[in-house]
Amino acid sequence: MATRKAAQKSLSLAPVLDLNEANTLHGKLMALRGNNLVIDASAVERVGALCVQVLLAGAKSWEEDKHSFAFSKVSDAFTKTTQLIGVNIDHLMAKEI
Amino acid sequence: MDMNEIKEIFFQECEEQLAELESGLLRLNDGDRDPETVNAVFRAVHSIKGGAGAFALDDLVSFAHVFETTLDCVRSNKLEPTQEVLKVMLKSADVLADLTNVARDGGSVDQARSAQLIRELEALAKGEAPPAAEAPAPKAAAAPKAAPAPKPAPVAAAAAPNDEGFLPVAFSFDDFGGEEEAVIEHPAYEVVFKPKSELYTKGNEATLLLRDLSRLGEMSIHCNMDSLPPLDQMDPEAAYFSWKVSIKTDKGEDAVRTVFEFAEWDCELEVIAVDAGEGASSESEELPMQPVPFDLSALDEEPHAPLGVVEEEEQIAAAQEAVTAAQTASNVVQMAGNASRAAAADKGAAAAAAAQNNAQQASAAGQTIRVDLDRVDRLINLVGELVINQAMLSQSVIENDSNGVSSINMGLEELQQLTREIQDSVMAIRAQPVKPVFQRMARTVREIADITGKSVRLVTEGENTEVDKTVIDKLAEPLTHMIRNAVDHGLEMPEKRLAAGKSAEGTVKLTAKHRSGRIVIELSDDGAGINREKVRQKAIDNDLIAADANLSDEEIDNLIFHAGFSTADKVSDLSGRGVGMDVVKRSIQALGGRINISSKPGQGSVFTMSLPLTLAVLDGMVVTVAGQTLVVPLTAIVETLQPDAAAIHSFGATQRLISIRNSFCPLVDVGRILNFRATQANPVEGVALLVESEGGGQRALMVDAIQGQRQVVIKSLEANYTHVPGIAAATILGDGRVALILDVDAVVAASRGQPLHLETSLAAAG
Repeated sequence: MATRKAAQKSLSLAPVLDLNEANTLHGKLMALRGNNLVIDASAVERVGALCVQVLLAGAKSWEEDKHSFAFSKVSDAFTKTTQLIGVNIDHLMAKEI
Repeated sequence: MDMNEIKEIFFQECEEQLAELESGLLRLNDGDRDPETVNAVFRAVHSIKGGAGAFALDDLVSFAHVFETTLDCVRSNKLEPTQEVLKVMLKSADVLADLTNVARDGGSVDQARSAQLIRELEALAKGEAPPAAEAPAPKAAAAPKAAPAPKPAPVAAAAAPNDEGFLPVAFSFDDFGGEEEAVIEHPAYEVVFKPKSELYTKGNEATLLLRDLSRLGEMSIHCNMDSLPPLDQMDPEAAYFSWKVSIKTDKGEDAVRTVFEFAEWDCELEVIAVDAGEGASSESEELPMQPVPFDLSALDEEPHAPLGVVEEEEQIAAAQEAVTAAQTASNVVQMAGNASRAAAADKGAAAAAAAQNNAQQASAAGQTIRVDLDRVDRLINLVGELVINQAMLSQSVIENDSNGVSSINMGLEELQQLTREIQDSVMAIRAQPVKPVFQRMARTVREIADITGKSVRLVTEGENTEVDKTVIDKLAEPLTHMIRNAVDHGLEMPEKRLAAGKSAEGTVKLTAKHRSGRIVIELSDDGAGINREKVRQKAIDNDLIAADANLSDEEIDNLIFHAGFSTADKVSDLSGRGVGMDVVKRSIQALGGRINISSKPGQGSVFTMSLPLTLAVLDGMVVTVAGQTLVVPLTAIVETLQPDAAAIHSFGATQRLISIRNSFCPLVDVGRILNFRATQANPVEGVALLVESEGGGQRALMVDAIQGQRQVVIKSLEANYTHVPGIAAATILGDGRVALILDVDAVVAASRGQPLHLETSLAAAG
């Protein structure tokens, strides 16, 4: 999936990913297009469906771009919410090499 | 914004919802079967319940819940909205309004009545005929309807049969919910939940709804992401995910639906009970369902508040959420949403599409604002003062600028124009349709009809006619009185109507229309009309008229406006207390209005009220009469003319007529009628104002001279002094002097020989 030439960028998600944060997160991801991306979701305390949508749309675009899109760390709240709403992010978890 | 303000907004919204509810039910009553009407009615009750829940108004919630459950049966076509059903619902709407009023203003409601209606509503929801008043006590009303529903409804007890003799049978899918004792497995439900974007923008959150759903039992979920576009094509605030949930719960379908009740209008929701034995349907088996872990404790730390709202005092946030979700205080949400948006604004730039989306929402929400009436009144008062001040300024300029062409004079004309426009605009703010008052009358009619055992239909026309808010507020009381009279005294009992060849159902018609700068409200009934013999006899008995008095039909009819006059043989709770029509007449007069009655025996009576559109200003002609300055309302004046000696004719001892274009018109000396002078003035030396009175006839009012035409600010004599016969109100002129505004109709009536009761001192008012 990942290309070799692209730079590696990282993004730390805010603790509260609500309605307001959806636009911000969308903006941040748009600015990071064209790079391999590692997302740190360890600080997330609350996440709403809109931000999950943005993240998954990002994953989709990154896949089209043939760049890597992975979560390095995720908080318990983040995992539980994705499980609750039936969104599987296992395939987006960074694999330890 | 504190709790009380939010509560106040809730009650304001309640008023709107109640009006919506009533008009929807009346439309259904008229045969409207549009599903949207049923939805609107349901939504109104649902919203009130939602908001009331947030403020712990338990009585209101309990009643609204039962009402809503029955309405839901209508909505899902399980219950036919027959006249019988709608009768119960209209009564329930009245009780709901009472409960709302009690919640706001304190006091108590008729517990027996609301309990009885709860029983009737519950019976309807079960497909039974409404129980009689002595029916046994209801089961707990506040508890959500338990599923599965009771055994199939007895067919024989269902609502009224139709023409073919078939009985509508209430049909509930709940009946097939399975025998829960026999099967250990809990019933399973399949829930399809498709949020709309509004769900999120209104501060709801799909994750919280799904969390609450998961608490009901064992749940597995499939998230449909098919519509999710790539990042660059998406609107971050739009809804793309939808869910299919399979849940096993012993709490019933209602509990499942209750999870979504505050978001119901902002999502597509399907809840289907599936056979417990089979588990999920075959379709859902094909979808990869992901089991939801039971331990969701990590998600429980957050307060049960919308994610989009900035942290505030918890109670307020919770109240806002509920109010929000119930759509009862969209502006509160908008405010909270805006605040949170503002707080987040510096965090990053929004995508263009999202910005556009927000702008659209902002414009939709910005179409109306709520403004405290006091503020509008203050503005109106100030504009009134501005008008007076501008008039004073004009006058002093005119006095000092004899040729009238200076630039100051020109500027003043523009100022006058502007003042006028400001005044019109401010008046328009206060103008409201009479609809709410008319709707209140529908309730009055229902109640009186119930008590008297008459069958009455209220027809309203011109509900959207606008008039000043003050007029509307003061209109309700006299109108209620008149409606009571119309139903109680005017309409006959059904058997009497049938005997007279009329339909058993009486009709009371209420219409409003604008006519020459006034609002004319007509109340007519198709009853027996005024019993002139009885009225006359009563008047003689009460020493109102001499036994041998020769009165015209119109004069007899108008006797009912006399104080202490009542023809009801027995004093009832409704009317007939002898304080009826004279009070009505006084209320209407206090509003600067007039009331007339015309009646045809056997065909009914028509009451016509004519009221000014506003109580604040008036276009008038300023005239001089015997050294006094008077203002004659312009709306009454047809034309002005300088009488020619040849056109004046004497008629009888004191009467004079003026010949205008080959017709004669009585000449009335205003100075003489108002007792400004002892003898009649010479008509040739004055000016005649041809006026049309509300009664229809024309009169030529004689005044000494016309000073000019101007808009004057009305200052009530009733409020500041006392009622003066022949005078409608007062005003302050440009030179600071007080001028009296002439009550044209009273003067015309006086010229016909009806006394003005001039014992009240006019001089004191001047």
